[in-house]
Amino acid sequence: MDIWSQLLAGFATASTPINLLWAFVGCALGTAIGVLPGLGPAVTVAMLLPITAQVEPTASMIFFAGIYYGAMYGGSTTSILLNTPGETGTMVTALEGFKMAKSGRAGAALATSAIGSFVAGTIATVLVTLFAPIVAEYAVQLGPPEYFMLMLLAFTTVSAVLGQSTLRGMTALFIGLAIGLVGLDQITGQVRYTGGVPEFMDGIEVVLVAVGLFAVGECLYTALYEGRSEQQLNTMGSVHMTRAEWRRSWPAWLRGTFLGFPFGTIPAGGSEIPTFLSYGVERKLSKHPEEFGTTGAIEGVAGPEAANNASVTATLVPLLTLGIPTSVTAAILLSALQNYGINAGPQLFQTSSALVWALIASLYIGNVMLLVLNLPLVGLWVKLLKIPRPQLYAGILIFATVGVYGMRQSAFDLYLMLGIGLVGVLMRRFGFPTAPVIVGMILGPLAEAQMRNALSIGEGRWSVFVERPMSAVLLAIVLAVLVLPRLWKLFRR
Amino acid sequence: MDRALHHRLIGGGALLVGGLLAWGATSIPSQAGYAGVGPNFLPWVVAAVLMLCGVLLMLAARGSEGWVDAEAPSGAARGDWPAIAWVAAGVLANATLITRIGFILACTACFMLAVRGLRLSEGKPAGGMRQMVLDFVTGFLIAAPAFWLFTKALAINLPGLTSSGWI
Repeated sequence: MDIWSQLLAGFATASTPINLLWAFVGCALGTAIGVLPGLGPAVTVAMLLPITAQVEPTASMIFFAGIYYGAMYGGSTTSILLNTPGETGTMVTALEGFKMAKSGRAGAALATSAIGSFVAGTIATVLVTLFAPIVAEYAVQLGPPEYFMLMLLAFTTVSAVLGQSTLRGMTALFIGLAIGLVGLDQITGQVRYTGGVPEFMDGIEVVLVAVGLFAVGECLYTALYEGRSEQQLNTMGSVHMTRAEWRRSWPAWLRGTFLGFPFGTIPAGGSEIPTFLSYGVERKLSKHPEEFGTTGAIEGVAGPEAANNASVTATLVPLLTLGIPTSVTAAILLSALQNYGINAGPQLFQTSSALVWALIASLYIGNVMLLVLNLPLVGLWVKLLKIPRPQLYAGILIFATVGVYGMRQSAFDLYLMLGIGLVGVLMRRFGFPTAPVIVGMILGPLAEAQMRNALSIGEGRWSVFVERPMSAVLLAIVLAVLVLPRLWKLFRR
Repeated sequence: MDRALHHRLIGGGALLVGGLLAWGATSIPSQAGYAGVGPNFLPWVVAAVLMLCGVLLMLAARGSEGWVDAEAPSGAARGDWPAIAWVAAGVLANATLITRIGFILACTACFMLAVRGLRLSEGKPAGGMRQMVLDFVTGFLIAAPAFWLFTKALAINLPGLTSSGWI
């Protein structure tokens, strides 16, 4: 079957009333949590992981993808109006968007970010449709050594390249790997680090760590340090763009999309780099450089927003074709698939093609839903920002309980959740990134299995990683990623 | 207390965790097989790297300013410890009570304690009896629909006080 007939079949599955409902609820919920400070898509999907025990895989993946997407749309609203980006990807939007809002052009900023997200999301989905099957075809030829190297690359970029400090990133990554070690070894069934506690036999749930670090940690941190931080809400005005603003936005959207997409497909830590790059490009190319940083330039919102959404969509390519997550949310989507016993990887396009194509089709549908939810109805979401902070964060704790307790019905996990939350406070206070912890704990066991399988192929020789050309190339890239930025710094001095 | 001391303590913590992992790794058999490395290989690597990170973090905090590349954290310089204690007490109460009085009431208790702490952290009065009743109602109105939604519509197993499935 060629991709178009498969995509059509996907649309047929995705547009059943029940799946449309899941997509809609996902998009709406995603927008809401994107708008609200304190919750991101990763922790929301994590909290809802218990539903994987009941809801069928296609519906829940459509639902989760809607949340992931929706949060990107909603996050820009908060960045523009409140200057507190909920997501790292919308950090750049806050730079110009908040300035625009301050000078009374919030409506135009909101419009360009919503329409830009739609344009970028749709183009990126087309690219996923075209490229993912091709990548999957090539990926079948990869063996354990290559997979191990790809995962090593993901570990390296998420911990060493991003964030303030390589050392703290590495510490966070290895804490995550340590958490992933708890439980049964995948290959031999050997029990590791359970300390005799029966709850640890099945390992530590992703829900627990994600909710502990992000939701409970955030709530505790807010109580401890952020209580007196003032927030200022910009007024909105009407959401529309003038003809001149359309003319300035179009090229920025397209440039942002084509900058963002490639970054989402490689393990480069999500949308942080492409959004900053896009901002830089727009600033250079703009005919109105005087507006940047002063009254706010519309290109500075349009470009990064498009780049953000394109890279978020593109994360699906490595996730679905290789089983390698390139963002925290993608990592949690991977563990959702694992809950169903579905192994994400090149075989996914054969074994679960119905699910994959329904998911891709739902992205097209979801983008349209989100445009409607975020343009005419944006005023509705802004009202969410009026919820007082104490009630909001205390309410988040209730949903944290649903996720953590609902996963394993163990009160022990709730104590553990508090402990992890306190670790989260320490990490945030002392500048440790949290993403490597999640990626480490989910990808760690997979990487270990690939490594040991690779060594088995090589009959115990480590040279197996350099003898195979593809694996050697990947190893060289890992080393380059580690070494080049340091050399660059040295030469610049 | 100064920053550098905190940073050294964090480094010490990483060193300690690494040490514990190494101690645990000694009791994992090797069972290497064809691969030449068995289930105890990664534990040793993780333990060693964490200990190394711990030492490096401590070394990096030698100066009086601690880590030179650390940006100032967001929020207040001094922590509001009573506030965080209230929030933590809420989560603890929830963990202790959830199997005894059911999800809805345990979560309502958690909400009441946490919202009190968060309100204190904003420098507002914690409120008297009237506020407590209001918090109870708010917490209940979040917890009960959540309970019904997740247990009835999504068949997630959450504990109730009675077997009726409504509370």
